[in-house]
Amino acid sequence: MAAPRSNREFIEACVKSGDAVRIKQEVDWENEAGAIVRRACELAAPAPFMEKIKDYPGFSYFGAPLSTYRRMAISMGMDPASSLPEIGREYVKRTNGEPVAPVLVDRKDAPCKENILKGADVDLCRLPVPLVHDGDGGRYVGTWHAVVTKHPVRGDVNWGMYRQMMWDGRTMSGAVFPFSDLGKALNDYYLPRGESCPFATAIGLSPLAAMAACAPSPIPEPELTGMLAGEAVRLVKCETNDLEVPADAEIILEGEICPDYKVEEGPFGEYTGYRTSPRDFRVTFRVNCITYRNNATMTISNMGVPQDEGQLLRSFSLGLELEKLLKSQGIPVTGVYMHPRSTHHMMIVGVKPTYSGIAQQIGQLAFGSKLGPWFHMVMVVDDKTDIYNWDEVYHAFCTRCHPANGIHIYRNSTGTPLYPFATPHERKHSIGSKVVFDCLWPVDWDPINDVPTVVSFKNVYPKDVQEKVLGNWTAYGYPPVK
Amino acid sequence: MNQWEVYVNDVKELAEDAEIELTIRTLNPGIHKYTYKRVRAQLSADLKKHADQLQVRLGRGQLSNSRFSIKVLGEVQRMPAKYL
Ligand SMILES: Cc1cc2nc3c(=O)[nH]c(=O)nc-3n(C[C@H](O)[C@H](O)[C@H](O)COP(=O)(O)O)c2cc1C
Repeated sequence: MAAPRSNREFIEACVKSGDAVRIKQEVDWENEAGAIVRRACELAAPAPFMEKIKDYPGFSYFGAPLSTYRRMAISMGMDPASSLPEIGREYVKRTNGEPVAPVLVDRKDAPCKENILKGADVDLCRLPVPLVHDGDGGRYVGTWHAVVTKHPVRGDVNWGMYRQMMWDGRTMSGAVFPFSDLGKALNDYYLPRGESCPFATAIGLSPLAAMAACAPSPIPEPELTGMLAGEAVRLVKCETNDLEVPADAEIILEGEICPDYKVEEGPFGEYTGYRTSPRDFRVTFRVNCITYRNNATMTISNMGVPQDEGQLLRSFSLGLELEKLLKSQGIPVTGVYMHPRSTHHMMIVGVKPTYSGIAQQIGQLAFGSKLGPWFHMVMVVDDKTDIYNWDEVYHAFCTRCHPANGIHIYRNSTGTPLYPFATPHERKHSIGSKVVFDCLWPVDWDPINDVPTVVSFKNVYPKDVQEKVLGNWTAYGYPPVK
Repeated sequence: MNQWEVYVNDVKELAEDAEIELTIRTLNPGIHKYTYKRVRAQLSADLKKHADQLQVRLGRGQLSNSRFSIKVLGEVQRMPAKYL
């Protein structure tokens, strides 16, 4: 099965496998669409494809695109029943290969150019921008999208998923954190020079382009998308600046980021399951041109309590990118997993504990990396603990982590303004604190006399006794174990 | 009659019977609902004093019980002219 090349192919594949439902009745862009997506996320239900939107004939919505592992497998062209470790292995294999350069196509071959609005016709209200949650500071144009920019000196292209709120028909404001690629380019270059930064927002991307836009990978996103898809992504030139955007995207907004002007943004329902960050003056985008496909579909991610893309997909890619980083440093890790319910705040790392201090080394690398601001807990367990099995990890944590020697706290590091536990001052200035939970038996303990023995069926009985008990289980009168 | 909404951290920010600057969004039905403007305005807790109505949301989107009538005196353009 090939990976879907566009949002449309993806919807079709999801409907076919029962992973999306077509909603034919009219849905209101004000709260109703958002509420459907939220409930679908909380139930891990099929993604809603809403074909009729109040006030916006001809447009549709696709919500919760990657909020289940089944849809993630479909997006990669895999069997929807693939397990999480299988999907993870495939992601690592594909993203460790050769970068696949994008191809530039002619405007006439780019569906995103089917309708073009310029000058006085530019009005974001002509698009079905949803009010995702009641009480949000505005209607959010960008919840599942990519903001495309180019580094002014190095020339490398960045696609990042940074939320964007509609302020008025031509103005958006968004949360671009200072440690993100775009945040760095703005703070290093554009803002001190007072130069505006050209941008394009692409909405309704192929699911792998969206996955690339929110993956913390050092590979530029157009190449990363090509690697994930196994073929080059098709790009087309913008109308009003020299950026290139995915030709098959549903909607493109072109414009400039203002270096000298900011409008209010937020509050907004966030991936932690709360509205945490305050309304504030944030990065402001002025829109100069809108292009869109006929019958364009707007994509919606509705962030809130688990689980939506904010947790599921980000946990997936953060965990795997950390695994690649730790392996590149020669650390004998056996796996890395972030449980989506941790809202990607806790990294669980399995390792062969072959030398002292390995848990702290892992924590320091993890927190010191580009991924570091996004999580604040690293829990290190040994290679015999199943990192995907929370019961086992929790047991290891509660029994092996020494309260005085095994918990290591790092203060005044980088955090996100979205941490619910952070003080208002810490949120405003992206200040974080971090903790490592070392759940390994110390290597200087005598393995025979000091390390406790795990008392479990698997660990304390001779093989022949285990086999006998397993073989006789139903004969003893127990129902068969699935 | 127009319906407007404002976000504040504290309702005390909304001084009555004085000219104040506010960022307000329209709640009038239609495709422009929820778009913002920066305005000069006068408020009153007397809901009959001005023709337009203003409802208030607090820091994390909670709807406040406070309601005002509002007279929009004019729009304030904060955006540098080069972007207009
Ligand atoms: C649905 C969704 C919304 C996101 N919103 C934001 C946001 O508003 N601001 C932000 O800095 N990161 C946001 N992220 C995380 C970024 O997409 C992620 O950090 C990505 O790697 C950004 O790229 P960069 O760090 O390479 O710049 C979001 C992720 C998802 C899945």
